[in-house]
Amino acid sequence: MDETVAEYIRRTVLKMPRDEIKTMLQTWGFLSEAQLQTLNFHQIKDNISQEVVQLCEENSADIKQAAVLDIIYNHIYQNKRMWSVYQMKKSGEELDCFDITDFKKRFKGRLRSALKNVTITFKEYEDNAIWIRVAWGTPYKKPNQYKPSYVVYHSQTPYVFISASVLKSNLPLLCQALIVASNYHDIREMELRSHSLNSLKDIVFKRYSQNFQTYSPKPLQGQNVEPESADIRIVQENRSEKERIHRLNWELFGGGPQPKLEFAQYKLETMFKSDPKMDVLDKKEPFRCLVKFSSPHLLESLKSLAPAGMADAPLSPLLTCIPHKARNYFKIREKKGLFPESFVSP
Amino acid sequence: ENADPQKTAFLLRKAWTLYSVTPLYRFRRGRLRDYARLLSAFIAAEKQKGLAVEVGVELDIKVALSSLADLRGSERDQAALLVQLSSRSRAPSRNSEDKLLWSGWFCSVYGDDLSKDVPEDFTCLPLFLTHGPESYTSIVGSWFQKSFDCCFRRLAISPLNLSWMVAMWAGCKLDRATSAVELVFSVPRLSQPLDISYAIHPEDAKALWDTVQKTPGEITQEEVDVFMDCLYAHFHRHFKIHLSAAKLVKVSTAVASAHCDGIVKILHSQYLSGVLRLLTELAISQIQ
Repeated sequence: MDETVAEYIRRTVLKMPRDEIKTMLQTWGFLSEAQLQTLNFHQIKDNISQEVVQLCEENSADIKQAAVLDIIYNHIYQNKRMWSVYQMKKSGEELDCFDITDFKKRFKGRLRSALKNVTITFKEYEDNAIWIRVAWGTPYKKPNQYKPSYVVYHSQTPYVFISASVLKSNLPLLCQALIVASNYHDIREMELRSHSLNSLKDIVFKRYSQNFQTYSPKPLQGQNVEPESADIRIVQENRSEKERIHRLNWELFGGGPQPKLEFAQYKLETMFKSDPKMDVLDKKEPFRCLVKFSSPHLLESLKSLAPAGMADAPLSPLLTCIPHKARNYFKIREKKGLFPESFVSP
Repeated sequence: ENADPQKTAFLLRKAWTLYSVTPLYRFRRGRLRDYARLLSAFIAAEKQKGLAVEVGVELDIKVALSSLADLRGSERDQAALLVQLSSRSRAPSRNSEDKLLWSGWFCSVYGDDLSKDVPEDFTCLPLFLTHGPESYTSIVGSWFQKSFDCCFRRLAISPLNLSWMVAMWAGCKLDRATSAVELVFSVPRLSQPLDISYAIHPEDAKALWDTVQKTPGEITQEEVDVFMDCLYAHFHRHFKIHLSAAKLVKVSTAVASAHCDGIVKILHSQYLSGVLRLLTELAISQIQ
């Protein structure tokens, strides 16, 4: 077995939490159940990984099998990576029957015709997701297995999720190979990024509970409104304001859990407007700002701003549009014309 | 600016942790070498007691104390005092440069408010800035406390003072303003914490400040409030969020950046004196 393959397998196993190594190796299926039985999982990880490498040696593992193990690890720990979303476009209305073998062949063909030194691995998962791992080399160097790109493609959709390696220069080639393989004619990067791959899928596949255009005037029965506190300081005015905020939140965000995003970024190129009495800045050029919101769960925290008294209800559409516009990077410019208060985001 | 840029270069682009220090009793400028020896012995003794910084690492620590005559506001200020801890190089080879482990310096820039009321035997250097492992700060602080009967306290910076800083620094004229004027807010008490970074193009921030500031060379609380209100209003117009209700935790400009935990980074030597003057003022108000 190649030295580099052995080292790569050793390091991949070292990344895994000790109590998950066995399951991941089982999913991998490269080592037999009998071989797995011989492993002692109660020792330090260093020793476990050495033993695994030993067994792989017995089975003459090569880089292709090692790459599959890497996909398995990254599929389970997908949230450690930052994912960007790309949307592909078809030129016509051809109803293609998706054939996975054709896809793989075309993908590999396109990449290899441009770059000889590349390791390409596929793994299919139950939810129709095809995971692709690409390790990049150069005409003179073998592929760097430690900085691969990962692509997740749901064949029934035009969406591709990419966690690129540091080498951004390979991105155009990767995109090319994807459209060639899947029979689309164009691909564009959406302004949507997150660590939570599932949340990105929720957003583009519209799998989260959305606000409804027509709504029932009262919240659904059994809604979990904050329990009536015995605090006599809460008078009717406060109570109805609280209910109004709660209802608006429900309208805007829906009743279910929000997709998990960690940040939203707004590049503001709007005008600075102030009360003329204040006698301050009155420029004809935009007041350039960059605003970034970050949170472990951004949409949930935005949702709680109005109830906490930190924001007006309804919250600004710039924030509430994030899931249904499927983006968390925005450029906001002033809308010219009748309604100077509204904004355009291209 | 009277400070020699070469001598003060070490201050720039480092994150300094701030403390206020009460006046030092019977501190003698002439005895810096003695003090260095005593502090060195103290550190060695603390190591023996098992209060060493790095367990198992035999570090031979060299202490240097020096005066920085240029680092002061007026003649009435005491010259700054620099303390440096380096690890003595073990290798007898030519590359035997000592490695700087920790530095701290005491200073007073226009600290008249404090020094005018203080008896002669006391030396006023109300601002203490450190860079390096906390354990060394603790040891050095203990020695000074024991030797000069002074008291150290972490200097937190309130949102009010942070807004002063951002207004002042945004208005500074720089040849090339390369970094944005950034305000970082934190909204902790939500179901999920939220951080908001609000960065303004330095030219636009300065343009705004220039229309707010009525008298050059002078800044009033009212002007700072107007400046901040303008920024809050612009933000509210877009996001409907009341930034004024959030906690301002950090401000950052091309001149300097400051964090509410009392950590400051000075980026431009041009305004060094102004920044230190403001920090000296904060230290003094904490002492008094």
